[in-house]
Amino acid sequence: MDTMGIIFSNIYDNNMGELTTDRTSASIPFGSRYRQIDFILSNMANSRIQNIGIITKYNYQSLMDHLGNCQEWDLRMGDGVRFLPPYATGHTGAYRGKLEALQTALPVLDRSESDYVVLADTTVLCTIDFNLVLESHIASGCDVTVVAKAGKADGARKCPLAVKLADDGRIADLAVDYCAPADYLVGMSMFIIRRDLLMRTIRELVPHGKYHFEREFLLPQYNEGKLKINVYSFHNVALFNESVLEYYNNSMALLNEDVRHSLFRSEIPIYTKVRDAVPTLFGQKGQAPNCLIADGCHLFGFAENSVIFREVEIDEDAEVRESIIMQGSRIGAGAKLRCVILDKNVVIKPGTQLLGSPDHPLVINKGAII
Amino acid sequence: MQFQKKHCVAMLLAGGQGSRLMVLTENTAKPAVPFGGKYRIIDFPLSNCVNSKIDTVGILTQYQPLELNEYIGNGQPWGLNSSHGGVQVLPPYAKSKNSEWYKGTANAIYQNIGFIDRYSPDNVLILSGDHIYKMDYAKMLRFHENNDSDCTIAVRDVPLAEASRFGIMNTRDDGSIYEFEEKPKHPKSTNASMGIYVFKWSVLKKFLEDDEADSKSENDFGKNIIPNMLTDKQKLYAFNFEGYWKDVGTISSLWEANMDLLGKHPAFNIYGTVGHKIYARNTAMPSSFIARSAEIHESFIAEGCEVSGLVDHSILSTGCIIGKGTEIKDSVIMPNVVVENGAQIHCAIIAEGCRIKAGARIGAEPNGERKIAVIGKDKEISEGAVIEAGAIV
Repeated sequence: MDTMGIIFSNIYDNNMGELTTDRTSASIPFGSRYRQIDFILSNMANSRIQNIGIITKYNYQSLMDHLGNCQEWDLRMGDGVRFLPPYATGHTGAYRGKLEALQTALPVLDRSESDYVVLADTTVLCTIDFNLVLESHIASGCDVTVVAKAGKADGARKCPLAVKLADDGRIADLAVDYCAPADYLVGMSMFIIRRDLLMRTIRELVPHGKYHFEREFLLPQYNEGKLKINVYSFHNVALFNESVLEYYNNSMALLNEDVRHSLFRSEIPIYTKVRDAVPTLFGQKGQAPNCLIADGCHLFGFAENSVIFREVEIDEDAEVRESIIMQGSRIGAGAKLRCVILDKNVVIKPGTQLLGSPDHPLVINKGAII
Repeated sequence: MQFQKKHCVAMLLAGGQGSRLMVLTENTAKPAVPFGGKYRIIDFPLSNCVNSKIDTVGILTQYQPLELNEYIGNGQPWGLNSSHGGVQVLPPYAKSKNSEWYKGTANAIYQNIGFIDRYSPDNVLILSGDHIYKMDYAKMLRFHENNDSDCTIAVRDVPLAEASRFGIMNTRDDGSIYEFEEKPKHPKSTNASMGIYVFKWSVLKKFLEDDEADSKSENDFGKNIIPNMLTDKQKLYAFNFEGYWKDVGTISSLWEANMDLLGKHPAFNIYGTVGHKIYARNTAMPSSFIARSAEIHESFIAEGCEVSGLVDHSILSTGCIIGKGTEIKDSVIMPNVVVENGAQIHCAIIAEGCRIKAGARIGAEPNGERKIAVIGKDKEISEGAVIEAGAIV
């Protein structure tokens, strides 16, 4: 069954603070060498979804640069993968929600010969086979399949979509932007829907002022009995990066072997842009206990419990703990960092000390010199 | 199809068996042997070509070509996937008459005169697939053209005591070559040939044709073409190269070249910005995880490794898993090797895909003379086994 993909590159930008100052949430670096979009794009590529529209709003320069011609994903930019910038309405190009954003995808949806569409964000990171989701969708006979994860709701975290299943597997409750209790599944912002139904929905609802996919389409139509929803319960690791703190905690979670092995599987790899960096050099006194470390680094100092991206330099006697150090940052001799997120190309001068806390990591902007 | 005229076409000799690398080249052509954690030997001449703006490269293969062909693919990792030139793998092929294997280095080029002629190049650059170095061939080409040379040979200065192991070029003050001596007992100079040649294509073509007609010839550049050109009073020049260069045709030189990458001021500086990088086909692996129990000193760690043991003065290539309580010293671990808990590896080269089972001991700390143990591709070393220093498995 032929399926196309639509990726929303910046739905949660507002929650990610300095990390999205000049990039979309799709291009936030994650996991020591990736950008967030690498996960969903690799999942689609590995599920043989090759016709993919990437909906963008603003700040997508770095995303275009990252994807290039998409050869790393075995996809083809321009013939298969397309950027879909905002639909020009005359006064404003910005959109307020996914439904409205999808307007820009109408021509692509219209031209496509696919039966189904996978809709996804870039902020939920996992390794998923969409063929299995599609099989479940078709078998259910429902109109929409929602991919959801148990064990994430805690009564405090606001879930864009939460669903409670009855013992027989049918939906007992569906809620939007709800601080759902622990027995709810949390939507992973991944959906499967028939292409013709999606197009009809966009054409009907958007002109009537509706823009929010979950709140103004799924929820009311489900409640009115017009829409049958299937829930695909996802059992592997899924990391939700919807705030800076979640981003930090999820990065630290990668130091756990089970999490790593669930996300990174050699038969279905996560692809990313090739940098042609040299392997990482450990110096005589360079140590990195409990660290995830990319290639191209020079490690002469000490790092512990940290995630280190490509081409990072840590000089002699520097100490980095519980931190995330993005690509190209340099940490001078004797500097001490704890609970810090260094964005790309930050320079920490020798001897500098920076201290964040595990509930409030200190974020240092791209290119800063401290 | 209309072919663009090229200033220079590079021909890379990658057909040799590399028998001195023993088990490492049992099922692999020498240029495809892994190097430096994520590279293969052929990445060096290929990247040099690209960095020297040479965009047309023919790779002459004949021994175990499958892995090499797969690795080269469409040439995209090196930017050699252009529609005007790019990289071409050239195995020997059946012709309507005189079908044969490549008989020698010169014969390999002779059999591909048709390929080179398509580009009507002014010059042809002949390269070897078993050298580790970074070189700007454009400089050599300029030198070649400024001297209106028929053949320019890259040379490097070697210690006089070692000169008798090399092909030595004896030159006049202006760099022109008057004599070539293969492994001379009493060397007159220390200009050792690096096996890198630039020829005027029109001149080389004539000499290749004459050489082919000579039934006594070994069809070799060093033994036949160069001496014949000298006898025939062609203009030959030596081009001095001063950077790092290593022929990795033996186990010990391959080991040494790997070790030359290590340290804050490495003997071979592999680093470079765009235009000076060494490119390789990349694997989609996650970053390496260094466990709490790991201890790493003075080593190269490539992507996709999980390290829980001691790694000292060693190269760990992509996708290696190093268990707890292991000890790896002065060794080259090639891609996708698993070293189980408690295994010890000293002064060894472990080829791709090996599994060293728990408690096995390979090699020994050098005691006087350094003896390098070598484990061939995809071998399994059983639990607690002991492999002596210098053993080849």
